[in-house]
Amino acid sequence: MTQTALAETRTAEQGMAAHARAWLDANLPDALREDRPSTRRNTVAELCDWEAKLHRAGLVGATWPKEYGGGGLGLRAHLDISREIGRTPMPESVNSIGKELAGPIIMAVGRPEQKAEYLPAILEMRDIWCQGFSEPNAGSDLAGLRTRAVQTADGWVVNGQKIWTSGASKSRRCLLLARTGPVEDRHRGLVLFALRTDTPGVDIREIQSIDGERSFCEVFLNNVVIPEEDMLGSPDEGWAAATRVLSIERATNRMHRAWRFENQLNHLVSACLSDPATRHLAESTYRRALAEVSVNIELLKGHVETLVGSLIDGQEIGPRGSLPKLFWSEAHQGFARLALEIVSQFPVEASDTLRVARKRMEDIYLKSRAETIYAGTTEIQLDIISKRILQLKRKA
Amino acid sequence: MTTDTELNPEDFVETARAVTTACAEAAGLPERMDLLAEAGLTGILAPEAVGGMDLPLGFAVPVLRAAGGGFLAAPLLECMLLARAFAGVDDALASAIVSGEMPVTVAWSGMLGGTSGVVGRAPLAEACARVLVLGADEGGVLVTPGEGAMVETESTLDLERPEARVRVTAASGPELSADAVARLRADALVLRAALILGAAEDCLSRAADYAQERVQFGRPLSANQSIQHHLARDCLAVETIRNNIHRSLSPECAVPAAAARATFVGAATLGARVAESAIQVHGGMGFTWEVPLHRHLRMIKALAAQGGAADLIEAVAADLLANAA
Repeated sequence: MTQTALAETRTAEQGMAAHARAWLDANLPDALREDRPSTRRNTVAELCDWEAKLHRAGLVGATWPKEYGGGGLGLRAHLDISREIGRTPMPESVNSIGKELAGPIIMAVGRPEQKAEYLPAILEMRDIWCQGFSEPNAGSDLAGLRTRAVQTADGWVVNGQKIWTSGASKSRRCLLLARTGPVEDRHRGLVLFALRTDTPGVDIREIQSIDGERSFCEVFLNNVVIPEEDMLGSPDEGWAAATRVLSIERATNRMHRAWRFENQLNHLVSACLSDPATRHLAESTYRRALAEVSVNIELLKGHVETLVGSLIDGQEIGPRGSLPKLFWSEAHQGFARLALEIVSQFPVEASDTLRVARKRMEDIYLKSRAETIYAGTTEIQLDIISKRILQLKRKA
Repeated sequence: MTTDTELNPEDFVETARAVTTACAEAAGLPERMDLLAEAGLTGILAPEAVGGMDLPLGFAVPVLRAAGGGFLAAPLLECMLLARAFAGVDDALASAIVSGEMPVTVAWSGMLGGTSGVVGRAPLAEACARVLVLGADEGGVLVTPGEGAMVETESTLDLERPEARVRVTAASGPELSADAVARLRADALVLRAALILGAAEDCLSRAADYAQERVQFGRPLSANQSIQHHLARDCLAVETIRNNIHRSLSPECAVPAAAARATFVGAATLGARVAESAIQVHGGMGFTWEVPLHRHLRMIKALAAQGGAADLIEAVAADLLANAA
């Protein structure tokens, strides 16, 4: 990049925070605000429409190349935008797998025509993606996966089963991981596909989760034929690139979390303060516990901002991506537990303000149970830290 | 302020470690102050006019990290900050602090009512030539023991930097403005976190070494997942302190005051947890005087009190309620 282009990029980056804040304040519809009463659930179409608008406003895909519909900006701009998105009580993306996992992997290993087809469709919300990695016998231990892909004259024929596939029932594409050889090959012979979910032989069944939602699914694959052009990278190469992307993604995905967490805490406290009957909960009973949550949020920001700085400086993140994941998931669960205890004490005849906060905190509490399970359980993160950061001796 | 881009805070790591090790062998505080001054560490923040290096706060971090990890028995944090604060107010005094001739400390807890009162938590006050005491006007006076002020021994946890009480009957000496004291206290938060980081890193390193050397049931302690996870959590705690010191000093940080406060409160809690955990991993040995983990724990607890960690959590609560109202 030339000096002039670099300076232009930096100027564009510096303006992003103010632009994001002003745009979100002006454009987030009340119906999508998580701190307002709602009478019905938002539809997938409404959410897609909102996310497409976010993209058109330059608030999604800031770091993606311009040729694929991105903003061509640096990570610092992404962090600035993420802060503002976090501060705004809006729904989580229905396409975070597309934007934060499939997209970066396609950019790393996709052929030019794959990039041109898949990437803009993700940002424009024409294609929602899901992640077909986990299997009934291969959750944390992905090397144990059994879904087989056999190369034939007509393309790859895939048989197997995936589980915990978030959003599969509303997705158009699945980032599918399968193996070309026997299970004993472990990490060898793994291959990645961009599977169309409407392909014959793909059977998707929703699983109801503890929050009552049907956000994740089982995906059965019976003699599913995937054309050669939907393979991402060659066998082995695709997965090797994917693991590199994953280590960065673990550190940077949903970068807005710390600020959304802060928004949730502020919502809880302001709800308590809105009513004479509940003021004491924030002012005295749980005063110190709430302050400790606030300290944890600042500490989480320290992890996120420092890791972003390291990435900008070109440093490898490697296993350090486990640190913010572990810190965030446990701190947020702690908050969720406290929040539920507090809203449980709201009066029976509560105002709208209290009712909305109670509903949101109940929801956060139930959803938070998954946070120490998905994207590598707490136990897996602790194993990664002890094995790869501390490099502890495991045998005599 | 120096804009010499050739210097990097990490350049001071080796020097700070070597000086800290040499200080452990030194006979007393005057000798330790000589060693610290010779290496330029007492004047790292002070302007060049008083013999200092005029470097930003970030350069003091690796130095205090080495001090915290190496049991440095000197009021280095206080000397660094007071040499900078008194430059321009009393240059001769600032020079004497930088040169190591005049070890100084701060009574971090309490304030005078008028010109008298009792203040406390002054590390190494019994060995120091002067003590900064804080007044009700939020300014400070650097009193001299024996001249309207008396240093009294106090029960103290910290073995390296034992705290004392100062009974002031008529405060007199060079003064600092309320603004200067506010800056000194704000910067002390991050520097205390750096001392705690050094101590916590040493605790983690000792615990990890011990867990890999100590064999029970035919295998090292570190072969047990419970021990691995214990140490992994300690690693997370250490990295949390490190990343937050970094954030507090970063020019990109939008809220440096809130970041510094959280960094110190977090370091006080997490640092103590790492030291306690290291004692646990060491088993019975951890409870002995000989294994120095308790010295780190004592220092961390003393630093938490000197920085007023409990008051700061209350300040966080007050801000949270004010912002949400």
